[in-house]
Amino acid sequence: MAVLKLDRLTKIYDWAHPPAADSVTLDIGHGEFMVLLGPSGCGKTTTLRMIAGLESISSGTLAIDGRVVNHVPAKDRDIAMVFQSYALYPHMNVRENLAFGLKRRSVPREEIARRVTTVADTLGLSALLDRKPHALSGGQRQRVALGRAIVRDPKVFLFDEPLSNLDAALRVSTRGEIAKLHRRLGATMVYVTHDQVEAMTMGSRICIMSNGKVVQVGPPLEVYRKPANTFVASFLGNPPMNLLPAVVSDDAGGRSVRIGDTLLSLPAQRMPPQRSGTALIFGIRPEHVTTDRRGAAAGIEGEVVQIEPLGAETIVFARLPGVEREFIARMGPDVAVAIGARARFQLDLGVAHVFDESGSALVPPI
Amino acid sequence: MPIVRRVALLLLLSLYTAFAAGPFVWAAIMSVRTTTEIMADHFALPKVFHWEKFPLAWFNSNYNVYFTNSAVIVVTAVAIVTLVGAMAAHCLARYRFRLNRVIYFVLFSTIIFPPQITIISLFQILVQYGLYNSKLGLTLVYVAIQLPLTIYILESFFARIPSDLFDAARMDGYSEWEIFWRISLPVALPAIATTVILNFILLWNEFLYAVVLITDEANRTLPLGIQRFMGDQLEDVGMIATGLMIAIIPVIVVYAFFSEKLIQGMTAGAVK
Repeated sequence: MAVLKLDRLTKIYDWAHPPAADSVTLDIGHGEFMVLLGPSGCGKTTTLRMIAGLESISSGTLAIDGRVVNHVPAKDRDIAMVFQSYALYPHMNVRENLAFGLKRRSVPREEIARRVTTVADTLGLSALLDRKPHALSGGQRQRVALGRAIVRDPKVFLFDEPLSNLDAALRVSTRGEIAKLHRRLGATMVYVTHDQVEAMTMGSRICIMSNGKVVQVGPPLEVYRKPANTFVASFLGNPPMNLLPAVVSDDAGGRSVRIGDTLLSLPAQRMPPQRSGTALIFGIRPEHVTTDRRGAAAGIEGEVVQIEPLGAETIVFARLPGVEREFIARMGPDVAVAIGARARFQLDLGVAHVFDESGSALVPPI
Repeated sequence: MPIVRRVALLLLLSLYTAFAAGPFVWAAIMSVRTTTEIMADHFALPKVFHWEKFPLAWFNSNYNVYFTNSAVIVVTAVAIVTLVGAMAAHCLARYRFRLNRVIYFVLFSTIIFPPQITIISLFQILVQYGLYNSKLGLTLVYVAIQLPLTIYILESFFARIPSDLFDAARMDGYSEWEIFWRISLPVALPAIATTVILNFILLWNEFLYAVVLITDEANRTLPLGIQRFMGDQLEDVGMIATGLMIAIIPVIVVYAFFSEKLIQGMTAGAVK
């Protein structure tokens, strides 16, 4: 177990381009499962590789357990890493792959054999110990890669998108295995992924990155419920949050926001303090939209353009008058709407989000 | 009509085999016939097998010396070329450093010069350094001429090894030097076997540099030894054939030993 402290960690490959990682500041506690989440090219893997010692640090400091390790080579950081491609040594069998790291650390032969056996038993690799990697299935290779990290009993585990090469079913079960492993070992883990489901289900905390910068850090549900800006709001959640251009309006007696041709009266605590006429971005998650059957309550009207029945739920796409972006609603399985028909959508305005034009959250969400 | 196609294919393959192996079989037959017999009928099968020609060539015609010289020079040169070439290829493929591609280009561009252009200056250099007419001199020249192609072949192979493999070894605690020996070399074994065979065959049969840079009888290599049977007036065809058969044995041995790896190397694209 270890504490990681990243202080303004920056990686510049080429001065002509913006930094791959830009002043990444992050504290990762003992036994924490930190997920670095973001689209490809956001700097998450670069950050991970700097922690591993595989990339030099252009500026900032990286400390493990209070000791600055900027210039400590990868092999002396006591960190294990699971690679996206598994990176198993093709000329060695499973047993040798598992033992390779221990041999270098001059662990006694009997101890190596004992540890390899234990790890192989835990991961169900005992029958495969004499096989070469090319004779293993994708899932088995993945487990060997995991075993290679576990067998070393390192201070910190790093995972670089370890599930992205697995098929969907295997991904779900391996996700569970890694989460279980984390609970059992209680080790500090840093996990890089672009898959929000992995991030939401596995992480103790999520660190969302964009363009090399940390955008928001927090427990998964908190980040989901209180996105700091429109990037986080649209990146987390499937289907993504509806982000609609809006204007503050004082027209109809009280204060409200105008979306296209519709006026919406937000609850007082959700209402931004901006002056009338200020442009905003109004956000509402698709699951906070329902169709109003009675047609009485205030809502927003639109024309249904597409319906995706998924069995347990139905995703409805609609076009709102005066709004370019499609509006998405996540509804029950037996919702009664038809393509081309007009429908009235009831919005749960108590959990609506309001962002300024640049995308930052204005009213702190509940 | 699979049978017709099969027959056609067999016929074509037989023709090609005859074309490729014919001269070899002819030389093999001539190696156990005397020159007088050969002169009488070039293509006849041997009536009496003159096996005694082999020890005769080996001891009386100095083939033991040529063979040993060839073996020492070629094996040393191939060993150096393989090791230095693999190290250079590893660096060029693996590390990002200033002028990486320039160095690669300069190295590789040297193969465009035909030997006739460089041989006079090489001769001068070897004379100046006292390496002319020595086994060491010829070995160094062989290393120099085969290195670019070796680096070219190995570099393209090393570049295909996923860099995650090296990163994993670094995380496992290995130094760059150990990674070269324990990861790069074993993984690239098929490519290395390819270059070993290629270099061995090319250098074993090399004639031009040897004939210019070696004149001393004690330092001659096999191709020069075979040439000694060609006089202005007379060619001892029978002995030339015997010499060729002796010369070809190591090539067959090396090929047989490394060929499995060679095939692996040629199909290396399939290796994930």
